[in-house]
Amino acid sequence: MAFYENTIVAKQDLAEKDLEELRDKYNQIINSSSGRVVKIEEWGLLKLANRIKKYNKGFYIHYKFEGSKKTLNEIEKKLRIEKSIIRHLTVRYKKLDTKNEYFKKDKQ
Amino acid sequence: MKRKNRKSQRKGPNSISKLSLFQKNDSKFSKKCPLSLKNSPLIDYKNIDLLKKYISENGKIVSSKITSVSFGKQKQLTREIKKAKILGLL
Repeated sequence: MAFYENTIVAKQDLAEKDLEELRDKYNQIINSSSGRVVKIEEWGLLKLANRIKKYNKGFYIHYKFEGSKKTLNEIEKKLRIEKSIIRHLTVRYKKLDTKNEYFKKDKQ
Repeated sequence: MKRKNRKSQRKGPNSISKLSLFQKNDSKFSKKCPLSLKNSPLIDYKNIDLLKKYISENGKIVSSKITSVSFGKQKQLTREIKKAKILGLL
């Protein structure tokens, strides 16, 4: 088991309901495939540095979780098909720091 | 005008000997790495304010010659900057 971080950039024109569904969906996927979600952060609507797939802004959802290769494969499978997502990134960490939140100020 | 000329004449020979073309001026270029100090901030793709300091206006990574970042930290920086670029943060 190792620690991972996963960030999703969702499309700008999604309704709040869809965003919540999206968040809960991946929370469930991680928990159901031998993983454990440590923390979910929502960075909110941020401006993209440059245009990506004709979008100027994006909703950022950030997961910190513990899991194995199985969970990663499961997430990758689902993320590739997902239509309401612009980009995604998973990073492996030895230790997760849950204290620092770099995007908290932007939210207020 | 006369005074200035005198000063330049006085300073002239000393400064020339220091800044000779074939001898490197060590005192000017030795500067410690700002990221390997004790309380230096973590290099992470989420820490955008830090990464922005090491990027030029066109989005290029600034070389360690200019910023005096150590070799290992420069490698870390480039990795994290590239991650942030994938997510469209930089």
